[in-house]
This record gives sequence, structure tokens and C-alpha cells, in this order.
Amino acid sequence: MSRLRLVGVFLRLGVLNELQYRANFWIQLIRSLVNLATALAGLGVVFSQATTLDGWRQDELLALVGVYFLVGAGVNLVFLPSMSQFIGDVRKGTLDYVLTKPEDAQLLVSIRRVDIWRLIDVAMGFGVNGVALARLGSDLGPGRAAAFGLTLLAGGAIVYSFLLALATTAFWFVRVENILVVFQSMYVAGRWPVGIYPPWLRGTLTFVVPIAFAITVPASALVGRLDWPTLVGTVVLAAAMLAFSRWFWSVGVRHYSGASA
Amino acid sequence: MISPLATRVPTAPDPTLRGAATRDATISVRGLRKTYAVPEREAGAVAAVRSLVRRTTREVPAVADVGFAIAPGEVVGFLGPNGAGKTTTLKVLAGLLHPSAGEVTVLGHVPWRRDRAYLAQITLVMGQRNQLHWDIPVGDSFVLNRAIYRIPERQYRETVDELVDLLGLEELLPKPVRNLSLGERMKCELAAALLHRPRVLFLDEPTLGLDVSAQRRIRAFVAEYNRRHEATVLLTSHYMADVEALCQRVIVIHRGRLLYDGDLTGLVARFAPDKTVVVELAGDAAPELDLAAYGEVVRRDGGQVAFRVPKAAAAAVVGRLLAELPVVDLTVEDPPVEDIIERVFREGGAQGDVASPPDGAAAREPSDGAVAVPAGVSR
Amino acid sequence: MIAGRAAGPRALLGLYRAQFAVHLAAQMQYRVMLAIWLIGLVLQPLMYLVVWATVARSQGGEAGGFTAGQFAAYFLVLMVVNQLTFTWVTEVTEYRVREGEFSPLLLRPVHPIHADLAENLTYKLLTLTLTLPIALLLGVSFGADFSPPVWAVAAFVPALGLAVALRFVADWLVALLAFWVTRMTAINQTYSVLTIFLTGQIAPLSLFPEPVRVVAAVLPFRWMVAFPVELLLGRLSARETLVGFGAQAVWLVVLVAVLPWAWRAGVRRYSAVGA
Repeated sequence: MSRLRLVGVFLRLGVLNELQYRANFWIQLIRSLVNLATALAGLGVVFSQATTLDGWRQDELLALVGVYFLVGAGVNLVFLPSMSQFIGDVRKGTLDYVLTKPEDAQLLVSIRRVDIWRLIDVAMGFGVNGVALARLGSDLGPGRAAAFGLTLLAGGAIVYSFLLALATTAFWFVRVENILVVFQSMYVAGRWPVGIYPPWLRGTLTFVVPIAFAITVPASALVGRLDWPTLVGTVVLAAAMLAFSRWFWSVGVRHYSGASA
Repeated sequence: MISPLATRVPTAPDPTLRGAATRDATISVRGLRKTYAVPEREAGAVAAVRSLVRRTTREVPAVADVGFAIAPGEVVGFLGPNGAGKTTTLKVLAGLLHPSAGEVTVLGHVPWRRDRAYLAQITLVMGQRNQLHWDIPVGDSFVLNRAIYRIPERQYRETVDELVDLLGLEELLPKPVRNLSLGERMKCELAAALLHRPRVLFLDEPTLGLDVSAQRRIRAFVAEYNRRHEATVLLTSHYMADVEALCQRVIVIHRGRLLYDGDLTGLVARFAPDKTVVVELAGDAAPELDLAAYGEVVRRDGGQVAFRVPKAAAAAVVGRLLAELPVVDLTVEDPPVEDIIERVFREGGAQGDVASPPDGAAAREPSDGAVAVPAGVSR
Repeated sequence: MIAGRAAGPRALLGLYRAQFAVHLAAQMQYRVMLAIWLIGLVLQPLMYLVVWATVARSQGGEAGGFTAGQFAAYFLVLMVVNQLTFTWVTEVTEYRVREGEFSPLLLRPVHPIHADLAENLTYKLLTLTLTLPIALLLGVSFGADFSPPVWAVAAFVPALGLAVALRFVADWLVALLAFWVTRMTAINQTYSVLTIFLTGQIAPLSLFPEPVRVVAAVLPFRWMVAFPVELLLGRLSARETLVGFGAQAVWLVVLVAVLPWAWRAGVRRYSAVGA
């Protein structure tokens, strides 16, 4: 409970401090709009040449773009800025301050920074999903909504775990500022359904860089393409990734403190 | 800047207290040892490519065998040159580093287990590194620490009021850290680090880079905090003034080994074999006299002459000077503590049998390439 | 500012050689980092390769004038060209200004752009040893249809060199905004998204509607990546090739002329703020 409050404090302070820079709002809005526009234009170019892509119709892929924005916004809202700070802290040695706090270090490191402007992307993601559903003319029953919610959470957990594992490498390699830029370029792989890739690459994008998978599944749930095995598999994968990244993090901390040496 | 020791009242800690300290000590360290595996590579592109295939590492001891005990409420200065192992020891105590060997307890906890109960009672302040967030107002950082340490509202109010009062922070709280001067920032860092009223303070160079008045302010504050809350303080500093003003006791380590543990006066007695005798001679008698007969002349400035005299012979020399020369004024001084410390390190270095860690292993300067820095060591 | 003073060409050459050695050693140290970085560089073109090859196959083997094999060739050449023209100047500069690490660079008697360029070139040469084999491997596995005419190969080399220079200078100019804007992340991301879109990394520019193509060609974007790629694949006529070289040259001259002016203004601003 008090951990939830801690998250609240970070969020509140993030909002309060950003509101001082109101000019920033416009820059951020433009960024979000450009991002969305290029994503939709990419979709448009593909469907100017074809009517379906690996069995996905245009409006179904629109839902995928929506999920892509939603999960991306969630990650960018807290996790990415926090990991960026974490990597800087390792390099500067100020991580020591985090590790001497009586709170779970992984939690602290994951939620310390908030980029509230990403709420614009959250809104856009929901907007795009709404449009996609309306154009598909299908209504979201409670079962499908639940499946969507569940897989969205699982997808978010998968992406978070992947990001944490990437950032944790800072304990060994110190200078990994660029790894977050890399994450962003990897995240782009989620813009298309994972099914279009050849098997070897699909495996990579499911288990090694599981971003495409994490985004395809909730989108499938939203448009009603999801089957039970995939749903269960996704939840299991999310749990496994969370456990793995937590373990890897603790190995990193132990390495940092020289316990493994 | 450094007052000669002759003018200082020695404040030796009660030896019985220190003897008992191992049992009831706040901090107890026995046989502490810490070695780093440092990757080795020669300079140059060829070696760089070779290191792709095979990386050689070398074991570097940072702390070889250190033991001490600190009683509750003591303020102890931790001295040593760069790379001596001070920061390593401090980090072990703060739970940041896992030692290679040795027994350490602080407040009854093993630090590197990082129990919540332990971490809630200690604090770490590093002079050259900020914990306050650059972009947000100081007050907000306090609120964050309040949430992290789960400080009850009332206690938080009281503590903030007290710290604001003691450090004069009133006007700083709404400012973002980036707009503060170095001295202001350090005051805020200290306050943020003390909100949860820690019982043990680890201060690593808390006055580094500050001007003299800011240093004095920090010193006075630490002394006051120690007095009010009976907190135990372990502090490293390059400024002897810090140590002289705050510490009844000093621990000197060099090349990972303990060289001295006791009060400052004892340090002087042990490591300064000479005294400085300064005489003021009447008229212009000085030029013609054979002054070298009394001792080594280290300074000669008109009628004023300074001799270096072995401690044992000091009394005799003073007697002879007074009897044989037209002395107007005479003082006997210990050399400045800084000189003694320097001598300690020189001599300690000569005897030391522990390999000195390379620059990267324990140097405190941030090295930007950080090529050979082992994890967990100060960068 | 001292940093603006020009150093002699021989001194500069010495500087580049020294920088090369240093960065080579440094990047060797961070080889795991490099490998992870490569995944990102490879993944995006690979993704669009797959998307477009899928489209081409679903349309009976050809879409927008590209067969699946030609799409493969396009995106793999793009992968190499993108890797060779890519810089992380915008991110690094933002980071330097934010962390106050720019001041030491200003004190050096050499313009910081030289160190950046040397590092960038080192990095590219180093990673080329990895991207080329990867591109070849992927070319085989995706059946890339790659048979460039000899004249195109000859013309490709200077076009690539100009593209590298153009993108580097353009990135450096955008990066200089960090002196004025405190929060560059959003601007950098917008620039990066636009670059990806307008340099033909999502789809060959010829597949886009007219307005997008015009924007990409009037601005320097097309000439930073897409032009050498299209050239090597033999998709450009002699006339289009000459226009391309002309556009590259004009943009390069314009940007290089603006650079010192923008740099001085930026440094003045930076010193005034006293960050």
C-alpha cells in the first residue's frame, strides 16, 4: 500500500514540475502528432498496395497501431525516463544513493522519473483503438474487453521486463546510455503483427526481443483474433519475463557490490 | 589555516570506552579485506583488438586487513591519501560493497544484506555526488525522501523545521537544485540525507570544493547534529580542518592497511619525531651567530629563526637557546597536522607491502571513459 | 571563442589519427554495447523488408514496381547506407548540455565537431565489418535481387560520401538546438521519426504519394539516405543521378555555411546562460 503511495508521490511531483514548462506541451504535442501521422502514413502506403497483410485487414492493423501507441506511451511515461536516470546514476556513481534507501531498489529505479507528456500518447492510443473498433463495426463484449485488458497488462509487463534487463547491463558495461535509443529502435518492430515474419525471426521477436509479440497479442484480443493458447502463453511469458528480469537485476546489484567477485 | 597542535586541548577518548567498543560498538569491523578484479590491457589498437578475444584481469587489493570499532556517538575521521581504501571501507559499511573477507556489523546489522531496518537508520553523503534531483525544487526532493523512508508526518515536520533552522535553508526549499551554489547545494544534500534522523552518518568528503565559510558551516552543523541526536559519524576529508574541528579520533589507512587509530594528539606524538622551536632574537644579533649548533634551521626571517629539533632534545635546546642567545620570544610547536599526515603516508608507503590499487580502482575522480573501472567502485 | 579557431590541416590529421586510436580502443571495450546497438540498426530495415516482401507476394509478386527480391535488395542496401550515414550526435549533444559536460569541450583548442566526426567514422568502420556480412547473409536468405550496373556502383561511392557528410552536418545543426531548448528529447525524437519516414526507411520513396516525395526531395532528407540506395540499385536515370548529386552538393554547401554561424550563436547563448 505504501508502495502505491510512493508511486503516487513520484507521479504528483512529476506533474507539478512539468507544469512549469508549459511551452513544452506544444513541442510534445507536435512530437506525438508527427509520430502518429507517420505511423498512419506507413499503414496507408502499405494498404495502397495490398488489401490485407498476413490476413490482417487495414482497420485491424489500425488497432495494432493503437496498441503500439498505448504500450509505448506506458513505457515512456515512467519506465524509459527512469531507466535513463538509472544508467546515468551507475555511470556517475550516484546509484549508491538508491541502494542505501530502505526500499526495493528495482522499484525505485523503475518509477523515479515521470514524463507526463506521454499521457498524450495514451490518449491517442485509446483514440486510435476507438476509431479502429468503430470502423470494424464490431462491439467490444465484456469477454473480449477482459482479454484485451489482461493481454495489454501482460504485454506491458513483457516490454518492461525487457527494458529492465537491457538497462541492467549497465552494471557490467557502465557506458550504456545508447541502449535506450536501441530499445526505442527495437520497439518499432512492434508496429507490425509478429506473424508476418519468417519463423526464425518470429521466434526472435517472441522470445529474444519480445516486443512485437507483446503488442500483437493485445491487438489480436481487441479485434477478436485471439485464441486461448496464445492468451495463456502470453500471461505465462509475462510472468516468466518478470521473474527473469528481477533475477537478472539482483545479479546485477550483486555484481555491482562485488558479491560475485 | 591549521592551528599548531600546541595550542589545542587534546581530547583523547576514554580508552576503556574504546576497549569495550568491540562488544557494544555501533560499528565493528574485523579483518576487512576487499579485492577487485581489474581488467588489464595495454594501450594501443592492437591490444584493444586482442582484448576482444581474451580479457586478462588482475586482482587488486583495495583494503587488505582493516579492523576497528566505533562507539555510539563517536565522530571519527577517516584519513588516507587517494586510493588508500577509505571509500571502499565506507561503501562496505554503507552496505554498497560486499567485502572479500572480514566481519562487519553496524548497529547490529551486516551492512551488505541491506535490511530495510538497517538502511532506515543510516545515511550516506558524498561530497562530489548529488542525490538531489537537478531539475526539481529542493523541497520536492525532501517530499520524495519522506515517502521513501516512510517518515510520519509529524516527525517529518519537526525534522524539516529543525534542519531548515540549523542550516538556514528557508529560502532554498522552493529553488531547483541547479540554481543553487555549491555550498547551498551541500547544505540541502545534508538535510535531505538526515530527514529520517539516521543514527549513523557516513560522510565522504562532505566539504569538498566548498569555500572556507561554507566548510565551517557544514562542520558546525555536523557537530551540532552529533550532539543533539548522539549520532555516530564516520567522515573522510581532505581538509584537516574538518578533522580537527570534528573528530576526537582518527583512523589512518594507507594502501589498504590500518596505520593508526587513536586521537589526533597521539597521532602527532607518534608520527612527529621533531618539534619546531621558533625564537625571536633581539637586535641584529642573528647574522653573526652560529645557529646551526642548536639544530637544523628551517626558516630565517630577520630576527626570527625556526629550528627543527628532535623531540627528546627539545627541552635541552630551549634551555641552551634561552641561556646563550638574546631571546625576545620563544615558542615550541608541533608541526601542522597536515605535514604529519603527509609524513605518515610517506613512511607508511615505504613500509607498505600491499600493492597500491591502480588509479581506476579507488581514485575518487570521476573518470569519464571509465575504461578500467571495476563495478561497484567509485567512478 | 577559442574553439572556433581553425587548426592547420596537418594538426587536424594528427588529431583524427589520435581520435581514431582512442575511439577504437574505447569501442572495443564496449563491444557488447555495439552488438546490442547493431540489433537495433538491423531490426528496423529487416522489419520493413518483411512487410514489403509480404505485400509484394500477396499482390502476385510485385508491388509499386518492386518484386519481393527487389524489396529485399532495397532494404538491405538501405541497412548498410543507414548504418554508414547514421549519427547519434543529437542524443549525445543533448546529454552533454544537460549534464554540463559541454564546457570542457569548449576549452579545447579544436572545434568539438572534429572529435565527433572522428568517433563517428571509427564507429562506422568498426560496425561495417559486422553489418556487411549481416546484409549479405540476409540477402541470401531473403533472395535479394541485387545486380547493380557498373556505372551505378561507381557513382554510388561519391553519393554515399556526400550523404555521410550531409547527414552528419544536418544532425549536428539539429543538435545545436540543445543550446536554446532545455528539453531536447521531444525534438530529437520528432527529427528522428521524420528522418526515418522521409529518407525512405519505411518504404521506397517512389511508393509514397506526390506531396511526401516533394517534401523529402526539397528538404535534405532524400539525399541523406534514399538517393545513394536508389542509385546503387540502378533505379535512377542518368538525369536523376545528376540532379541528385546537385541537390547533395547544394544542401551540403548551405548547411556547412550555416554551421559556424549557428555554432557561434549557440556557444554565445550557452555562455550567457552559464550552464
